[in-house]
Amino acid sequence: MSDLPDAARQGPKPTGRLEEAEVVAPSRWKTIWDADISYSFRQSPVAMGAAFVTLVMVLAAVFAPLVATTNPFDPSSLNLMNGFSAPGVPNAFTGETFFLGTDDQGRDVWSTILYGLRISLFVGAMAVAFAMILGITLGLLAGYLGGWTETIIMRVADVQLTFPSILVALLIFGVARGVIPIEYRDQMAIWVLIIAIGLSDWVQFARVVRGATLVEKNKEYVQAARLIGRKPGAIMLRHILPNVLSPVLVIATISLALAIIAEATLSFLGVGAPPTQPSLGTLIRIGQDFLFSGEWWILFFPACTLLALALSVNLLGDWLRDALNPRLR
Amino acid sequence: MRSILTVAILAAALPAGAAELRFATTSDPNTLDPNAGNSAPVFSLLGNVYEGLVRRGRGMEIEPALATAWEPIDGGAGWRFTLREGVKFHGGEDFTAEDVLFSYERASSEQSDTSSWFAGVDRVEIVDPTTVEFYTETPNPIFVDGIANWMMMDQGWAETNGAERPNIEQGNFATLNANGTGPYRITERQPGLKTELEAFDGWWGEDRGNVTSVVYTPVQNSATAVAALLSGELDLIEPVPLQDVRRVADADGVDTIQGIEARVIMLGFPHDADALIAGGEGNPFADVRVRQAVAKAINVPAILQTVMRGSAEQATQLIGPGLRGFSEAVGPTEYDPEGAKALLAEAGYGDGFAFSFKCTNDRYLNDEAVCTAINTMLAQVGLKPLFETMPVANYWPALRAEDHDMYLLGWSPGTFDAEHPIRFLLATPDEEAKLGSWNFGGYSNARVDELLPQIQAEIDETARQAMIDELVQITSDEMAYVPLYIQPLVWGVKAGMEVVQRPDNFLVLRWIEMPE
Repeated sequence: MSDLPDAARQGPKPTGRLEEAEVVAPSRWKTIWDADISYSFRQSPVAMGAAFVTLVMVLAAVFAPLVATTNPFDPSSLNLMNGFSAPGVPNAFTGETFFLGTDDQGRDVWSTILYGLRISLFVGAMAVAFAMILGITLGLLAGYLGGWTETIIMRVADVQLTFPSILVALLIFGVARGVIPIEYRDQMAIWVLIIAIGLSDWVQFARVVRGATLVEKNKEYVQAARLIGRKPGAIMLRHILPNVLSPVLVIATISLALAIIAEATLSFLGVGAPPTQPSLGTLIRIGQDFLFSGEWWILFFPACTLLALALSVNLLGDWLRDALNPRLR
Repeated sequence: MRSILTVAILAAALPAGAAELRFATTSDPNTLDPNAGNSAPVFSLLGNVYEGLVRRGRGMEIEPALATAWEPIDGGAGWRFTLREGVKFHGGEDFTAEDVLFSYERASSEQSDTSSWFAGVDRVEIVDPTTVEFYTETPNPIFVDGIANWMMMDQGWAETNGAERPNIEQGNFATLNANGTGPYRITERQPGLKTELEAFDGWWGEDRGNVTSVVYTPVQNSATAVAALLSGELDLIEPVPLQDVRRVADADGVDTIQGIEARVIMLGFPHDADALIAGGEGNPFADVRVRQAVAKAINVPAILQTVMRGSAEQATQLIGPGLRGFSEAVGPTEYDPEGAKALLAEAGYGDGFAFSFKCTNDRYLNDEAVCTAINTMLAQVGLKPLFETMPVANYWPALRAEDHDMYLLGWSPGTFDAEHPIRFLLATPDEEAKLGSWNFGGYSNARVDELLPQIQAEIDETARQAMIDELVQITSDEMAYVPLYIQPLVWGVKAGMEVVQRPDNFLVLRWIEMPE
């Protein structure tokens, strides 16, 4: 403790003005490094492992065209005779070798997983973003305004919660299919998936945000903001929102894992990504037909990828929940 | 096929012990109305519940059912049927000549999906309570072969329940209920989930095995069906997916029965459309070069080798070899992607064009995988198919509503004769004349329409074959359809079961003998 004055001495001369204190403040990097959350991260090997796996997968998806050996979405690169090649074994007809094998259409499983991962991650992330924006907006409105607005929003949410989310997504998907003209269906399929999953998922966000808003809106800082005449919109966005965000982050992470699985489920049911642009779920659906017949690789590798991705995102979500929970610190 | 040879004489040996049969197929019959769906799953199930004047025996020969005898009326004016006496419907009603007339009117009505059977029938007359006469416009030597799936309904039952006419789109009482004279009656019907049947005690016939109760479950996923068969949950599945045939054959307690189905899988074109549903100017498929390019672009041998596991045969025409009237005049289209590109360029579509390509995903063996492969091959010659698969329950309505460009179709001729697909698929659609009822693309050729009645009336085999050869040559040159392959037929059964596998893939419950 006797060193302390020494450290103070090395600082700039006191000028008595508050701004000057910034200079002694640690760098931004150091702030992040010293934060509770980073400390907790460094203390958790599970979180670090999960983050590593997630990062690798995201990078693999983003740079899929560089990492993949073929482009499975480009029909001109496919040769049906390559179909059912076992991993690492030269194909009996074409002599080509694929290190994770090929599926029934002669698509290289490795490349298809990478491109499928892209679709799965993109759909998952966009769906969560959509659900989050919708859920936060409605949750804030319900919690802050109360009255009829709250009743309507929260009852709609309650009703929707009584339906399984996959059913809601199927319903939205079916309606969209009927409405969209055929020439746009393939291009729109991904966006329909995003909206379908997002719409089935906003309720959780709305509930949490509303709950937190109910607590926050009676706190003094909100009262003060209201007294000085700030508009309700500004109060919700600038004052309340930042204070309710931490539970939202936790839900968002867990929702991401669920959205990836929801996308896989919808594609597995044959209503998601078009068969010409397989996502992980489509690959698993295709591979499932060959489970008994010895072509295990068509199912095994995409399933492992989905498992690893969903598990690591989930573990990250779990860790984040614990790390942000003041009672567990 | 094997079981046809091992047929035991069961005629007098009625149920030794009661046995239950649990079976599954991929597509649930979309109706119980015998006139509302002209498709094999419907007739296969209903053939156990309803009966026609004639039926097919174990060797596919025509044999008496509700008619005990029939003969041509002088000079080929028509056919005279003698009806069986003492036949009861499941509801207890008597089977009468009026029911035959009513069933004729119902099956040949505008609302019916089966009216093509009666193309050329002028009128039907009741001579006396056990004699009915069918008069045809021209002599029709194969008329009797063509009505084996025409099922007798009770007039009173249909009228009481408001089902005098079939209703294909909305359905009616007869869609969910059945009242036939057949060896089995339906006790429970939950579309898409479960159908239960039990032996009908009042049946007139005697040739019935020991199956007294039947539970039918549609199982869309074939891997699930295989698992259920292997675990003993099911006694019979149809089909066994080609990739699992070896595993099922090797497993203890189960057997496979394999044959070649009389079904040709083909691609259809929108011949008479003004524009494609995928948008764009005009209808490129109206140009024969475009249709030929499609045929050349598809590598059928590769599909058969990989997707079909080498167990199917390439088709050259709309029927398979071995059927009556098969033509040797045409061979298969060779795979020639460069030729396809050249033809497209010549037709002015060098840059390709977008079109809808619809396929079933639960009707034919590996249909979705086959179509995915075709989709890739078409894209490789520069075409832009908008590929879409759907369950058969949505598929037929879409085709009927003209909501299609190119489409997949499988056809199994009910008469086992070359004339059948000509009448249904190639004749110019004509509701009045009951022709071309499954010609969704509206293919039309004057010479084909001219040859059809001649083929129907010709008794001399050589002259008939010459006309069929000419017709097959025309439709092949014009590429009315692209014939792809003949579907293999594989059933999985519990070991020790006696089953007859018909080449039209019908399951006849009364021919099944369960092990004790």
